Amino acid sequence: MRSRHDSLWYMIFAPGIWALHFVAVYGWAATICAKGAPYGLARIGIAAVTVIALVLILWHGVLAWRQWDLLDDGDHVHARPTAGDRREFLGHAGLLLAIVALVGVVFVSLPAIFIGDCR
Amino acid sequence: MSATDLPQGAASSDILDSPMQGVWPPTPAMLAEPVDPDLSRAQAGNLRKAWETPRGWRRITAVNNSHVGKWYAMTALAFMLGAGVLALLMRVQLAVPENGFLDSDRFNQFFTMHGSAMMFLFAVPMFEAISILLLPAMLGTRDMPFPRLSAYGYWCFLIGGVFVLGSVLFDAAPSSGWFMYPPLATESEGIGADIWLLGLSFIEVASIAAAVELIVGVIKCRPPGMRINLMPLYAWYVLVVGGMILFAFPPLIAGDFLFELQRSLDWPFFDPERGGDPLLWQHLFWIFGHPEVYIIFLPSIAIAAMVVPTAARIPITGYSWIVLSAVGTGFLSFGLWVHHMFATGLPALSLGFFSAASEAVVIPTGVQIFAFIATMMVGRVRMILPMLWIAGAVAIFTAGGLTGVMVALAPFDWQVHDTYFIVAHLHYTLFGGMVFPVIGGVYYFFPVIMKKNLSERLGRWSFWLCFTGFNICFLPMHLTGLLGMPRRVYTYSGDLGWNMLNLISTLGAFVLAAGILVFVWDLIRPKGRAPHSARNPWDAGTLEWTHDVPDEPWGVRSVPYVTSRYPLWDQPEMLARMDAGRFYLPDAPEGERETLITSAVDAVPQHVARLTGPAWCTLVAAAFTGGAFILPTFKMYLPAVLCGIVAIGAIIWWLWTATARIPEARFKDAGLGLRLPLYVSGPKAPGWWAVFITMLGDATGFASLVFGVFFYWTARPDFPPPDAPHAALLPSLAAACLFLASWGATRIARGVNAAGSIVPARGLLLAAPILALAGAGALFAAVWLPGLAPTSHAYPAMMWALVVWTVAHVLCGAIMQAYCLARSLAGRMTARHDADLWNTALFWHFLIVTCLVTTAMIALVPRML
Repeated sequence: MRSRHDSLWYMIFAPGIWALHFVAVYGWAATICAKGAPYGLARIGIAAVTVIALVLILWHGVLAWRQWDLLDDGDHVHARPTAGDRREFLGHAGLLLAIVALVGVVFVSLPAIFIGDCR
Repeated sequence: MSATDLPQGAASSDILDSPMQGVWPPTPAMLAEPVDPDLSRAQAGNLRKAWETPRGWRRITAVNNSHVGKWYAMTALAFMLGAGVLALLMRVQLAVPENGFLDSDRFNQFFTMHGSAMMFLFAVPMFEAISILLLPAMLGTRDMPFPRLSAYGYWCFLIGGVFVLGSVLFDAAPSSGWFMYPPLATESEGIGADIWLLGLSFIEVASIAAAVELIVGVIKCRPPGMRINLMPLYAWYVLVVGGMILFAFPPLIAGDFLFELQRSLDWPFFDPERGGDPLLWQHLFWIFGHPEVYIIFLPSIAIAAMVVPTAARIPITGYSWIVLSAVGTGFLSFGLWVHHMFATGLPALSLGFFSAASEAVVIPTGVQIFAFIATMMVGRVRMILPMLWIAGAVAIFTAGGLTGVMVALAPFDWQVHDTYFIVAHLHYTLFGGMVFPVIGGVYYFFPVIMKKNLSERLGRWSFWLCFTGFNICFLPMHLTGLLGMPRRVYTYSGDLGWNMLNLISTLGAFVLAAGILVFVWDLIRPKGRAPHSARNPWDAGTLEWTHDVPDEPWGVRSVPYVTSRYPLWDQPEMLARMDAGRFYLPDAPEGERETLITSAVDAVPQHVARLTGPAWCTLVAAAFTGGAFILPTFKMYLPAVLCGIVAIGAIIWWLWTATARIPEARFKDAGLGLRLPLYVSGPKAPGWWAVFITMLGDATGFASLVFGVFFYWTARPDFPPPDAPHAALLPSLAAACLFLASWGATRIARGVNAAGSIVPARGLLLAAPILALAGAGALFAAVWLPGLAPTSHAYPAMMWALVVWTVAHVLCGAIMQAYCLARSLAGRMTARHDADLWNTALFWHFLIVTCLVTTAMIALVPRML
């Protein structure tokens, strides 16, 4: 396996988690509502998946923040042809994607708080 | 990276297998050393000969990206004009109430074809065309990695497009709307729906081919030194959009597959009386349909990302932020599809998820717009003509985006669902997000494409006509919609308050059409006597502006060593060195078309790839693939099967004669003291990546079918019906074992062959297809023996659909195994030259998952549900 510093796959880790979270939440809610199971079960499941997704994204975001290394050299452009700039660029993009994924996961979970039944 | 200079023919096999020999990266002294002008001229002569375009009527065999790209773009433009004429005719009909200009059926055909053609025959193909045309230039590479695949995709697109759009002239066009909802579309008389399903599936195959080509192009064909953080933003967008096509189009192909099975064989997937559900189609269609909007939008906004820095004369502000926005939009756009289905009665909770995701996608989209605005604020913007179009695009798109936020809210959407408000919204996003940036891009890139200039005066006329015409046409539609006028009605009564608004829209449509016509005239007017354009007229910084004026066929004279995001601004000596042939691959002494393959992230040179040249086999393959898709429309199944066989034969001929050829030497001098292998297999080879990417798309299509099974299970109480027979257990188990054995034989054959044991490898490759075919037979028996009747209920139909899909793939897999055996016997595949076997084994890794999931889905899952 390549190190996370030179892999595109790590950059899309956080939005990938968002996608899995989305599928899990949607599939779980659809199943619960279609099969007439208690609505509380839907909320518990959504809460559980959401917590897991948020932890994973936060963990990844911290790693990406360290890889970006902003406070060390203040570089946020990463336009030089060096392995260091490539590493920091992938960290920067990974961090920004983690933030968007975090917001996305929170957004997508909110309906479970505001909507009280399967109608 | 090691920079050791190794002698040719060194003894150790480690050294022979090393990825490169010689100097990397090049030293400044090496780059500064002048090239002998006589040598440079001789090299240019060799290159010109290797890349020569066939003349006369043989020109249609050309596969060069600059030719195929132009044909592609002009064909898409022609289809766009055709679809635009349909729109004008509809506007004439709607100009006044109770109009009799078009009857209802013809009106239905027109709006269906207008939407279908604009989406499938213009917007997506135009992205492919522009990318095929410009991406190699932006990456400083000679051509796309698979030129014949581009050509094949183009010819498929042309044949399919003429077939689909031509149907409107014969009063035979589909008439159920561009999203073809059942039961209206499944029950519709005539062949319109079949034309839509088969013709557009055919074109989707071409789109996926282009996506594979473009992804591999971005990942493996960047110039040496262009690390991932230096890539032009356009390439980032192409990468994202290619990935989106892979995950968005296969669900629609799977949907088309089910739909056509219902239309031709009466398998009731969407018929609720026999256990089907029309909503499944809506899901599959919109899992494709919403990402599709972003597939259209992102590459067009990518053009803006190239134009804005040039107009502002500074590097883009927030490169990482734009990458975030492209990738983030790509992901989030897959969580929006149900917002097209808010009115279908799904639980409010489900609607909430999609509403939330639809709001969240505004964040990356907004970041992108703000990055452009920031760049313009930091730099000094020259209002060059392309920038005018981009500015107009941003204004229109922002308006469309804001109405998008409104309709993403389910309660608001219920009010305006299926009204002209939606028509206004989608045209604002698509004109702002696609048409305006693309026309701006044509003005910007025209010197690269045609080596001539377009008219500044006509361009400004065209812009203002289009901009005002567009707003006059579509702004009032927001009101028309809020006043309750539904979409897709062929006329309306005069007392509803819609008359004046409709008349204004019609007038605006004609102003817009006039603007488009001015642009088209500027594009096609003869320019033979006009002087050539300057080489870099906008003073841009990216590699496409190193193009040759007048035109040369080779793409780039030598493949540059890149150390900056804007090489023409930051590496001032680069252009002269490229022209002199100072950089990589400056010569073609063997008369072969060659380009450099580099590593995915850091663009370290890995391989000199020999590219395919002009060919008839791609044309034959496209024509007969067309037959295989088009003839079933007319229920001519036997000729269709024969066409399919000829198409497969032509493709095998193409692969056999032109791919994975064993080179005359292991290494080749690539220039600047670097020697690279001429043959690679496995993950270093572009072909392996192409198989990997294609199979990701294929897996998505299969996953859509599996989704269908679970969808029925949640949506229908009678899935599976209580007394229904299930697939037989023993044959299913036998099928799974036979498939596993076939897969294992293939995988082991790869290792054994690489170890030099050729005869055992051949034995395994002989056994593998036999095992695979036996497995296919067992799978077939598993659903046939217990008497699962696919016309009786959606449950047996779905089981059969899984089996048909899997057996078709197993047949492909068996052909590939037999192909490897034949290559080995013919001496075209050896222990070292085993790319075919690597690719076949990769195909089978994906296939074995499909096989095992299918056996589980038919034999185990229904018994547990």
